[in-house]
Amino acid sequence: MLELARFEAERRRKGTAALVVGVSVVAAFFVGLFPSIEGADVDIDAMLEAYPPAMQEAFGIATLSTIEGFLAVELYGFVWLLLLGLYFAYSAAGLIAADVERDRMDLTLSLPVSRSRVLGEKFLTLLVPILALNAVVPVVVYASTAAIDHPIDPVALLTVHALSIPYLLACAGIGLVLSVVLDRADVARRLAIVVVFVLFLVESIAATTEDLEWLGYASPTYYYDPTAILVEGSYDLTGMGVLLAATGVLVLASKLRFERADVGA
Amino acid sequence: MAAIELTGLTKRYGEVVGIEDLTFSVEEGEIFGFLGPNGAGKTTAIRTLLGLLSPTSGTARVLGTDVRDESALVDAKRRIGYLPADLGFDEGATGEQILDLHGVIKGDSRREALLARFDPPIERQVREYSTGNERMLGIVQAFMHDPDLVIMDEPTAGLDPLKQERFHEFLDEERERGTTVFFSSHVLSEVRQVCDRVGILRDGRLAALEDVETLLSRGGKRVRIRVEGSLDPDALALPGAFDTESVGEALAFTYAGEYNVLLSRLTEFDVIDIEIGEPPLEDVFMHYYGEEGEADEGESAARRAEVADA
Repeated sequence: MLELARFEAERRRKGTAALVVGVSVVAAFFVGLFPSIEGADVDIDAMLEAYPPAMQEAFGIATLSTIEGFLAVELYGFVWLLLLGLYFAYSAAGLIAADVERDRMDLTLSLPVSRSRVLGEKFLTLLVPILALNAVVPVVVYASTAAIDHPIDPVALLTVHALSIPYLLACAGIGLVLSVVLDRADVARRLAIVVVFVLFLVESIAATTEDLEWLGYASPTYYYDPTAILVEGSYDLTGMGVLLAATGVLVLASKLRFERADVGA
Repeated sequence: MAAIELTGLTKRYGEVVGIEDLTFSVEEGEIFGFLGPNGAGKTTAIRTLLGLLSPTSGTARVLGTDVRDESALVDAKRRIGYLPADLGFDEGATGEQILDLHGVIKGDSRREALLARFDPPIERQVREYSTGNERMLGIVQAFMHDPDLVIMDEPTAGLDPLKQERFHEFLDEERERGTTVFFSSHVLSEVRQVCDRVGILRDGRLAALEDVETLLSRGGKRVRIRVEGSLDPDALALPGAFDTESVGEALAFTYAGEYNVLLSRLTEFDVIDIEIGEPPLEDVFMHYYGEEGEADEGESAARRAEVADA
């Protein structure tokens, strides 16, 4: 078992390393910015009050005057929630469609492996970058916050990373469904980005519009709130459960579809 | 038990027919050629046999397994090798990594022996491979787990003549080992050289199922001859000669009659140049399996099927 996953992960090793290094650099950069913002002679939180509520909601802006609040917005609200969510949806959307499009799937399926195993193992390969990011970046964040004498609460830090795993998997699940439904990989990838971005926007707007709050339930971003974890220390374990369940449903739906599909017809 | 058995196998893409009502068997240990012009539906048939496409109606069994039964087919694939027409190797992987992956999943007992014979540069990445090398790697992976049945789609496309020859010799040896081989081709000479039996596909339908000998005797030879002086086309109007045409100073015709009759008639001329070769596949179709005038229609249907094949 897992031979296909191992092969794929091996193939993605360089990409994974580049991603981890890149995000680590960005994280350290944000941490490095914090002292100058904290030391600035303006009441930045008062300025934030003036931001439109939807924008505050979108990036989980609570406060920028503590390291937790600052990183919750800049690193976790923007890079983790939005950029990595889009990235993993994009990656997953290519998993099946790109192989089918480039005739690789024919050869893979000539091996004695079931389609559901191919799909499952391909999806599992995305766990490698997801786990690598969440193992390395918290260390970088903790070390760099300690270096500027504002050490972040390690428990909150680990929690924000741990709970991001189901979130990123759910985003990947959305991409996976598109990967088995659409024949063309670039269309699937673009659409995956659009879907996750639209869900992100819908949730931001819905959260501040009383009658539409239910709309936000459809978005994975509703169930993962870095600001609440880092600033308020509240963990939404139900949300995590919902994200894991949604991932399961999306993978299962992809499997059912892929098992019945004509490959490369 | 037949190694491959098709029963009314049909695959349509909406209105477009890929293959229609194919019924025939390939016996164990046989080398079976699946012949037809591009777009006739060969690839569709092969991909349906491998369970990549689900039949619209009818079914097929490979090594006794219904192709519609995925889990049984997965088991059967341990004993099946496949060489697709478009080799979808991961370009960033080396040949060795690819063979390792295939090896751990399906076995690789013959890997070294095959690599000694077909020698793709396995230490290099596939993106650096020539078409021929990629094809060699494909042949190695198709045979390395010592399968009982090997299905190949245009296996010699992209191989130079020398390597084609080596591959044909290899297939002869495989026949001795008892391996069943099913391969598609649009080249008559290749099929005649290695196959025991031939199925001819035309517009998605089985146009003929023949021993190679029968096929060839029906197909005749293409003769092209140049003689001293002028040559009256009627001078060679022997029984079994047709499609006579003048090409410059030469005369060309297809001949399916007695060879001795032709040869003794030729002694009457001062022959400067002569070529006797395989007739174009299209001629075989046109004269033996289709009505005159149907060729155009056939071509457009073939184009339709080609769209579906893509």
